[in-house]
Amino acid sequence: MRIRILLGGLGLAVAAYGAWLLLGDDLADLVTIAVWLAAGVVLHDFVLVPLTLGVSWLGLRVLPGGSRAAASAGLVVLGTLTVLAVPVLGRWGANTDNTTILDRHYGLGWLAVAGLTIMGVLLVLVAKRRSGGPGARRR
Amino acid sequence: MRSLAHPPLPEQRDFPSRLHHPRVAARLGAWLGICFFVAFATGLVSHLAQQPDSWLPSRPVWGYRVTQGIHVAAGTACVPLLLAKLWTVYPRFWIRPPRQLRELALHGAERASIGVLVAAAVFELATGLANVTTWYPWSFSFRPTHFAVAWVAVGALVVHIAVKLPVVRAALAPAAADEPEPPGEGLSRRGLVRTAGVASVAAVVLTAGGTVPWLRRVAVLAPRSGTGPQGIPVNKSAHAAGVTATATDPAYRLEVRYGETSVSLSRDDLLAMPQQTSGLPIACVEGWSAHGEWTGVRLRDLLDAVGAPRGRSVEVSSLQEHGPFRVTHLPHQYADDDLTLLALALDGEPLSLDHGFPCRLIAPNRPGVLQTKWVRSLEVPA
Repeated sequence: MRIRILLGGLGLAVAAYGAWLLLGDDLADLVTIAVWLAAGVVLHDFVLVPLTLGVSWLGLRVLPGGSRAAASAGLVVLGTLTVLAVPVLGRWGANTDNTTILDRHYGLGWLAVAGLTIMGVLLVLVAKRRSGGPGARRR
Repeated sequence: MRSLAHPPLPEQRDFPSRLHHPRVAARLGAWLGICFFVAFATGLVSHLAQQPDSWLPSRPVWGYRVTQGIHVAAGTACVPLLLAKLWTVYPRFWIRPPRQLRELALHGAERASIGVLVAAAVFELATGLANVTTWYPWSFSFRPTHFAVAWVAVGALVVHIAVKLPVVRAALAPAAADEPEPPGEGLSRRGLVRTAGVASVAAVVLTAGGTVPWLRRVAVLAPRSGTGPQGIPVNKSAHAAGVTATATDPAYRLEVRYGETSVSLSRDDLLAMPQQTSGLPIACVEGWSAHGEWTGVRLRDLLDAVGAPRGRSVEVSSLQEHGPFRVTHLPHQYADDDLTLLALALDGEPLSLDHGFPCRLIAPNRPGVLQTKWVRSLEVPA
């Protein structure tokens, strides 16, 4: 218990230092920072999670039982990599006088990632079928 | 029957998947925590390196290249891990608050600490990811804010570890690993942890091309392919800095001052001085880096020309008229390093305009934004 109290105290002090650093900003910046902090939680809890639940619900109805594990794994990989790729896919940081930034075809890159993920899922399914049908998994 | 217009809010038991389990959360959390602490530690190095009075040594020459590459990679690796972790514990979001006052207070405090942790963690990853693509969709200053919120995130993370320590201990105990998983059709617990790990490694491999040259071809999501004029990317072009006219003006002179003593040198005067070639990386705060063979005059030789003693820091001013890096402060350990140059050429060719023509600073183990381009003056305060 003592170590938990010590850790808790340390964490509070570290977080308070961060908050104190933020308080040096003027009010307009603080409001923007607060909006950004809240927006991350709201976007995750009320957009990303419902979207994931919706896709999973659809998957449960469309996909045969034996393919669910591999399909879920594919969704985890492709879904998280897509979230990661939002800034490069959107190209909002592109700059006409500096062609060394955002200098790839990110749409094609994303398609390649999606293709590889789907191929990986299919390969796992084929391998599973060969090794004894759906549900035959090693632990 | 309840009205469809007011469906009941979900409860924790409405999410029956075996994946919503402390063992999954603890394993994902352990990896996520490691990545967060690595990003925090390397971030502190970067913050210190950008302080005008930084005491960081000028060696190893590749130091900042490595720490900042790791900083961005660790943050990138957090994205799949954080999303998987949040999904694992999501049903807890719907736990109903207890009725007794004492329990309610504890419950509220824990919820608040988790709210702060999630908000700060998502903020750090989102602002970091936008920043590496030079996208700034906000009005606040990136660096101090990313730095301050990092302390909030790490503090809230330590509080979270303190609160969850008994759960984590039980979940990661060797005995727990032998317990069989409940049967089910979908992804197993072990499968989810492994998949999140694979996604996390893939995230780093797909974006690290600007940092690790042999990953360039596969890094299809990297904000920079890692090339540019003379083989090196550009952060700010001469056009964006507004220096095209002044940098190419034949009347250009470099001013070197120490107290009352000063010299004024044209680019030809600089070329007539003894030249040295230093193989040094340019390593940006955005995580990309590239090695170049820079040729020019040793900074120390220029400081000697005005009689400036060793052990003094140097104010380096650029021709650019605006921007936070117009004037930079070069601490003495960099100014006195034999590798530090006022570079005139890169890989055997005259420096291109976007790389800082007529001359730029290049010092070992320094963040790229402080390697001042289009240098107008060097001043050692008397």
